[in-house]
Amino acid sequence: MRASDRSMKWLIVGLVLLYAGLLLLGPLVAVVTGAFAEGAGALVRRLSAPDAVHALKLTLLLAAGATVFHAVLGILVAHVLVRDSFRGRRFLDGLVDLPFAVSPVIAGFMIILLFGRDGWLTPLADSAGIKFVFSLPGMFLATAFVSLPFTIREVMPVLEQHGHDQEDAALTMGASPWQAFRRVTLPGIRWGVLYGISLTFARAIGEFGAVLVVSGSVAGLTETSTLFIFRSLDERDAVGAHGMALMLAAVSFTLLMAMELVRRRGARQMTKGEEI
Amino acid sequence: MSIVLHDLVKRFGGHAVVDHVSTEIRDGELFVLLGPSGSGKSTILRIIAGLVPADDGRVVLHGRDVTLLPPQDRNIGLVFQDYALFPHMTVAENVEFGLAIRKVPREERAARRDELLAMVDLAGYARRDVRRLSGGQRQRVAVARALAFEPSVLLLDEPFGALDVKVRGQLRRALKEVQRRLEVTTILVTHDQEEAFELADRIGVVEGGRLLEVGEPGELYHRPKHQFVAQFLGDAALIGTRRIGDRVRVGELELPVPVPAGGDGGSEWALLFRPEDLALVDPASPAGEGKPLGTGRVEEVLDLGPVRRVDVRIDSLEHAWHIGAGFGEEGIPIRTFLPALRNGESALREGEQVRIEMRGYHLLPRLSMRVLAWAGDEEGLDEVFPMARTLSTVMGGEVTFLITARDESDGQRKHASLSAGLSARGMTAPIEVRYGPPVEEILRMAVGRRQDLVLVPDYERDAKPTRERRMVAEDLARRAGTPVLFASSDKDRIERVLLCTGAGEEGKADVAFGGRFARSVGARVTLLFVDDRVVPAWEQDRIHVEPPWILEHLRRGVEALRARGVNAHVEVRRGPVLEQILAEAEEHDHDVIVVGGHVPGSRGSGRATPDLASELVRRADRSVLVVHDTTVPFAAVRS
Repeated sequence: MRASDRSMKWLIVGLVLLYAGLLLLGPLVAVVTGAFAEGAGALVRRLSAPDAVHALKLTLLLAAGATVFHAVLGILVAHVLVRDSFRGRRFLDGLVDLPFAVSPVIAGFMIILLFGRDGWLTPLADSAGIKFVFSLPGMFLATAFVSLPFTIREVMPVLEQHGHDQEDAALTMGASPWQAFRRVTLPGIRWGVLYGISLTFARAIGEFGAVLVVSGSVAGLTETSTLFIFRSLDERDAVGAHGMALMLAAVSFTLLMAMELVRRRGARQMTKGEEI
Repeated sequence: MSIVLHDLVKRFGGHAVVDHVSTEIRDGELFVLLGPSGSGKSTILRIIAGLVPADDGRVVLHGRDVTLLPPQDRNIGLVFQDYALFPHMTVAENVEFGLAIRKVPREERAARRDELLAMVDLAGYARRDVRRLSGGQRQRVAVARALAFEPSVLLLDEPFGALDVKVRGQLRRALKEVQRRLEVTTILVTHDQEEAFELADRIGVVEGGRLLEVGEPGELYHRPKHQFVAQFLGDAALIGTRRIGDRVRVGELELPVPVPAGGDGGSEWALLFRPEDLALVDPASPAGEGKPLGTGRVEEVLDLGPVRRVDVRIDSLEHAWHIGAGFGEEGIPIRTFLPALRNGESALREGEQVRIEMRGYHLLPRLSMRVLAWAGDEEGLDEVFPMARTLSTVMGGEVTFLITARDESDGQRKHASLSAGLSARGMTAPIEVRYGPPVEEILRMAVGRRQDLVLVPDYERDAKPTRERRMVAEDLARRAGTPVLFASSDKDRIERVLLCTGAGEEGKADVAFGGRFARSVGARVTLLFVDDRVVPAWEQDRIHVEPPWILEHLRRGVEALRARGVNAHVEVRRGPVLEQILAEAEEHDHDVIVVGGHVPGSRGSGRATPDLASELVRRADRSVLVVHDTTVPFAAVRS
């Protein structure tokens, strides 16, 4: 290898390290130092304050709700898109990606248009006694909207690869379609499903824009963790902002690790499955 | 009867993959569905299992019509080609699945599972992970799993396909034993004829979605009713011959025709020989016990260990032709087997002359030509009708009329008009209605239904055809894979066929198909070659001699035609090709012009060049038969 080639290689490696350091590691270090700037005691005090606890609880509740919601409906939609052919299938397939394309703020705005004062669906919601804007149902809707594609997009290729011979075999052995799905198909695609719902959860806890528009951001009522960070920064409460950011980062990091584990097991499963 | 299939039909995209299949399978029988891949046999199995809904027809299991029942209510055991074991379950859980679904108590399940695993020779494997099993073990688990819940019927889809040869043989015997012991009615699908012969009580041969023939293995092998069955099951030499009275003549021999029930079987018959039907004797020795078929030359002797495979070419036989002869091929190739040489025996050598004696034979009726006719409208029917009638009466062809319509009401109107038109002319023929653009539907049906010939109205520049008919003719002349006859109304008998040939690799399909066409209508053939080399003025008065390779090509062409039993002679003309063909047809009053066509590499790529075939269709005032070169394999198989 010529000397110029070698120096070129090191230059590229250096660039990559710099890029990763600045963009990924830098903020992490900043968050950790910021959180502990006034000592661990101050951090614990700030995060155990009622508004912080409420914000964190609300975020986890919304994310968990959206995840369960999509785990059920996402698998259903993926199943329909892969196995059934019907008029409008491709349109529906494309529509699934809409939340990727639309800004969350716009999504929130659309919910206000639908359910706000004089919204199209407001009379319907009123008659059902559900209030969407500035309340939990609206925030759930916003979170669910932005996290919709993840489970579907993860499950579809796995389901396609799984094929339907095993399902058909179960049917001929007397299983109902539901039994065949639950006892044969679902175990076959479980790693894909787990990966999909992890991504859904990660997306849901980080949601900000759509929830900001819909919730009204009332501390202790409709304020999620991300909104809490936003308010803390506004009020020059560095410990609160950094502390909550650290909490979310920790949750995401744990999830990321768990996901990586799942992915590896899934990959191993797949190579083993190919022998079948 | 355990399984009754009644007129099953399944279409995918207008193409019938299962085409009116009916049969009955007896209690405890092992029935093998045998056919080449893509023939629709697996689809038949899936229809019986309820995994694929039939478009038409009924499935009856043990007297119960299950056509509309979902698979889980049919009580059928199905073994998939790749077994479809559940990878997240153990062997035991796989085998017990059907019992667990039926809520059979745990102890009973375990007992049944152990019994079955012992039967397939996997005792002690219950707790194994199915992913850790070999291919053969997986297959046996799949069989045990399909039998665990005591299904009324067992279906197996190519169960040995994924295994190597050695394991295959062992498992076949094991399967047959299990099937005998449980006496469960079984259908097995395979493309392997050896497997079929080893396992089957009866075999059903499937081709192109149709169940051609059902019978015991020996019956199908020795006395097939279809040429396809004869050729698919083992080595077969087939010799075409024509019936005269109640016998056929092959060379010196006269053989009585077995008249099949319900018809005279048509005028063309095929003589089938299996290798064991033939004996090779020294031409000098006195006549043996067999009937003398003729003399021939040994082409190849291949030592296969216990036997020697001998290929012999019989010298041309009078009144007979080789079915599926290649271009320029002379004589009739046959194959036979001789035992390995013992010490001191003199070997049969290649090139040696032998006399062929016949110890057994079978005569089967030739399938008539299948013709798809499209008229378009009333005037179109005027054009195609005389030819359609000639093909169905003189040639004994099966003519089906196709109607292409825009919608339901259009289709009904055209159907009424066509059936009135046909009955007014005293002809009955099946009519099919398809919805879509004419050319697409014609081509799709021609390929899907394996038609030999497409019949459409001719189109001449001055006849003012409708736009639709003109487009159909122009398009088909360019891109049909099936031979297309552009029929002109002024001739209703075919006595002279003008076969235009170009020298070189092209022109084999047109000679083969044109020859078959001429023979089946009893016409004479003129093999025309047009030399379009520009001759300089100062050489025009000199005598031209065609180059030897052209003469050789023509000689081989005539031989190919005579080998098919066609009376043929050669004609050579000079000048522009198209004009000379038209002049020749005019001068000698030919009824049909046969011409090869070019199939462009990709259709719709820019402006198509007007080729000879479409020009001829446009200019000739008589019927033109265009045979594209893509028809070679197809025509060779059927002719």
